[in-house]
Amino acid sequence: MSRLLTALFGIVLLGIAGFILLSAPRTVNAAAYSGLAGDAAKGELVFWAAGCASCHAAADATGADELVLAGGQQFPSAFGTFVAPNISPDPMQGIGGWTLVEFANAVTQGVGKDGEHLYPALPYNAYNKMVPQDVADLKAFMDGLPASAEPSKPHQVGFPFNIRRSLGVWKLMFEKTDWVIAGDLTPEQTRGRYIAEAMAHCGECHTPRNALGGLQRAAWLSGAPNPDRKGRTPNITPAKLTWSKADVVEYLTSGFTPEFDSVGGHMAHVVENMARLPESDRQAVAAYLQLVPAVE
Amino acid sequence: MKKRLIAFTTMAALTAFGVYAQDAEDPFADAVETRHGLMLQMASDLGTLGGMAKGEVAYDKAAATKAAANVAAIASVISMAQFPAGSENGKSADSYALADIWAKPDDFMAKITDLNNAAAMMQTAAATDANAIKASMAQLGGACSACHKAYRQPES
Repeated sequence: MSRLLTALFGIVLLGIAGFILLSAPRTVNAAAYSGLAGDAAKGELVFWAAGCASCHAAADATGADELVLAGGQQFPSAFGTFVAPNISPDPMQGIGGWTLVEFANAVTQGVGKDGEHLYPALPYNAYNKMVPQDVADLKAFMDGLPASAEPSKPHQVGFPFNIRRSLGVWKLMFEKTDWVIAGDLTPEQTRGRYIAEAMAHCGECHTPRNALGGLQRAAWLSGAPNPDRKGRTPNITPAKLTWSKADVVEYLTSGFTPEFDSVGGHMAHVVENMARLPESDRQAVAAYLQLVPAVE
Repeated sequence: MKKRLIAFTTMAALTAFGVYAQDAEDPFADAVETRHGLMLQMASDLGTLGGMAKGEVAYDKAAATKAAANVAAIASVISMAQFPAGSENGKSADSYALADIWAKPDDFMAKITDLNNAAAMMQTAAATDANAIKASMAQLGGACSACHKAYRQPES
């Protein structure tokens, strides 16, 4: 009997040890960032392409206020309500004074300054495909934005999702560093893929998720229930998105659909962001969308 | 241009004072229908301009200036007159208007002013060439979506 108990105890210990090992935060290879100098002007384009302000500025911010990344926007989900934190350069309440490696760990690996896992409401599962130079440029731009002393508000997430360590297992299961659309791509398609999959994180809203919140990559961009309201994000695979390339470019520039209805909801933020990129980038995204496998 | 403006203004006045008179089921049905009619006509004229902006249709100065004049006329009609209090999403059938319109009418009308300014720019662009229309389209689209983002319930 006592031998059985010892064995059981051993198994539990092993399980705990395995959980600790597997759920440990994994950080970037610091060598890839050493000696990188950020270019703020280039970083501004990364900033808009990655849509940082759409979540981290105030919900109704326009103009210069869009650059005050004080956080506070709420994102309801099946797992609880996430609240965007202050990522302005304020040294106390924001991310002022973070090193490039600390910044890269947060953005691309979902690991905070103190080594804690960040919730994947931050789309690090897309940003992990960004090249280090773009991350460095992004930081250079964000370092020059106005500081806000507004304290970040806590997420409203219940058990068990409030145990951040469990996110380590989530990452093991769902974090993917390879491209969804592989194969021989033209330079334009490659650029479009980089914008769509690495920076603009289209799949975060347009791809359905499984019960644990992992993206179903086999159904890439085929539409999903909207996390924060009733309704769905549309299927934007060629099965349903039958717009011409020029139509997609126009939509990402002016927000006009081919029927000249205009974009609304969160996608209006996305169009504002895309409209700030060179037209060649919007054409690249349109070219990429034509490559995506049709999903009915 | 002037004639058209008068026609639209008359239509708006008529709808504002006359036709809203009462449907027992949904007292705002006519207001909502008027709004949707204005938007549909706007979309039709934007289609003319957009075709030239996208290069699908050759630039035609007469057609472009007419379409832009229509857009400007419609923009000038939009006011709180078509948005009587209560004609909001959830209370009035077919309405996608969000209640925030009546909580922040000044901001709502500021966005309509932006639309009028963008429409005026488009009138200049429409008399110039397709490239000018294309550039102006982004401005006009921005004005449309600024208001739709804040004050329209998404459809899907």
